[in-house]
Amino acid sequence: MSFIRILQGGLRMNVIEIKNLTKSYGKARGITDVSFNVEQGEIFGFIGPNGAGKSTTIRTLLALIYPTSGSATIFGKDCIEFGPEIRKEIGYLPSEIFYYDNMKVIDLLKYSASFYKKDCSTRIIELAEIMDLDLNKKIDDLSFGNKKKVGIVQGLLHSPKLIILDEPTSGLDPLMQQKFFELLEQENKNGATILLSSHILSEVQRLCSRVAIIKEGKIIKLEKISTLQESNHKKFKIEIKSKIDDNYFKITGVTNLEIKGNIISFLFSGNINFIMKKISEIEIDNLWIEEPDLEEIFMHYYEKED
Amino acid sequence: MNMFIHELKAYRKSTIIWTCSLIALVVLFLSLFPTFSKEAEAFKEIMKGFPEPVRKAMGLSVESMSSILGFYSYMFLYTTLCGAIQAMNLGTSIVSKEVRGKTADFLLTRPVTRRAVITSKLLAALTCLVITNVIYLAVASIMASSVATEKYNYKIFFMISITLFFVQLMFLALGILVSILIPKIKSVLPISLGTVFSFFIIGMFVATSEDDAARYITPFKYFDTTYIQSNSSYEGSFIIVGLGFIAFAILASYYLYSKKDVHAA
Repeated sequence: MSFIRILQGGLRMNVIEIKNLTKSYGKARGITDVSFNVEQGEIFGFIGPNGAGKSTTIRTLLALIYPTSGSATIFGKDCIEFGPEIRKEIGYLPSEIFYYDNMKVIDLLKYSASFYKKDCSTRIIELAEIMDLDLNKKIDDLSFGNKKKVGIVQGLLHSPKLIILDEPTSGLDPLMQQKFFELLEQENKNGATILLSSHILSEVQRLCSRVAIIKEGKIIKLEKISTLQESNHKKFKIEIKSKIDDNYFKITGVTNLEIKGNIISFLFSGNINFIMKKISEIEIDNLWIEEPDLEEIFMHYYEKED
Repeated sequence: MNMFIHELKAYRKSTIIWTCSLIALVVLFLSLFPTFSKEAEAFKEIMKGFPEPVRKAMGLSVESMSSILGFYSYMFLYTTLCGAIQAMNLGTSIVSKEVRGKTADFLLTRPVTRRAVITSKLLAALTCLVITNVIYLAVASIMASSVATEKYNYKIFFMISITLFFVQLMFLALGILVSILIPKIKSVLPISLGTVFSFFIIGMFVATSEDDAARYITPFKYFDTTYIQSNSSYEGSFIIVGLGFIAFAILASYYLYSKKDVHAA
């Protein structure tokens, strides 16, 4: 299936093509045989738990580390050999932001802009306004979230054709996350291709059209987000007033059912109205409905594969 | 060009401080010369009291101490020590600070080659050293002519003084190579001070022995001030070995840095 999809993808121009990329560090860390393509103009999600190899893949694309075997091309050019040329059109936001502490925000941004042969000063001011960033503060004095904002402005100021984001939202408050996503959607509309790595499913779901799921250094699934959403799971936790029949929630769509005293928890996928009606028929004390974390989704994938 | 200017700005303060220290050192030492030359005979007597190896290790040469060039040669050992620390610090920190400050990700995801990064940093470091040397030389020259009691050969004075730059180049190259070889340098000072003082102490031992080959071990012994004074020239073989070492260290640094994996913070 995924092979056919890759072939179909080939009809549109691929901005990123990763072929059997392997990076071994001797021990367990690293990536094995990673292959996927990112098409022009799409927002591609790259998800997996911490330490699965997302950053390793991205760092190889940026030629920060060199692959043990396999290769990757960006804009049709080898990412190691033509690294400097390719990076003219790449905006990168690392997961942790570190800049020269004794510089002012504006000086750092100007320094960053000086690497690209175009005038970025108006874009810097525009972006800083959107992200509500004070340009005259010292980097050293910024909070984690504000440093992240500097990173965002720095990553976008040269209007790159490819934006690579490595867990971009950590540290941003919900309002800023919202603004940032709008900014990304705008950039995407203007033609930028985006590779978004994350371990937060909801943000990937919101932005991306396709995702690659990586676990322990291997791509375990390449999927359209719409397909993923069909199997959208919700995590329910219910505190009941009085004991009910253990089989009350044993219905289609419910998995991982657990009953501990008066706490019932399970994963549900399917028509949400149906389960809500079912819950409304019993006396409850409290109710939690959450997005399942990625591990649970992965469990789900493994179950399907077995 | 932008990286070069960025590095220059980053090292402006430290270059000013090191230059001032070197100037202070030469001004202080040379201002002692008038008193010293007046009492030269008495000093010679005291110095003769020291055992020969001690005198050699400290670079004290009883005969020449009463002339300005002899006196300057003696203090110049400490100028090169100070200058070597500056150069080694500069070399060890200028590349590794990107890893320490976790800014390597930022710098290396710009559209530049690793070669260009090293070149900019190297040129910036060289510029710092040239500035230090020019100012040092100017101040030292003025100071020497104002304290000299009789005419002296300025060419020799100049020749001795610029060996500072050569020794600094060797330590700069060594520092850069070391900083690329060691995966993660938490603190620059222990490495640079440790290395420089080791070579300095080796230099002291070498001075007490008659073995000329041992002088190749430490940059502090590449330029023998007595030889320069009596021959008005440097020893060619040391210049060649020195240049060879610098070229090797720089080329190896370029090569290793281009191949290096830059890991996440």
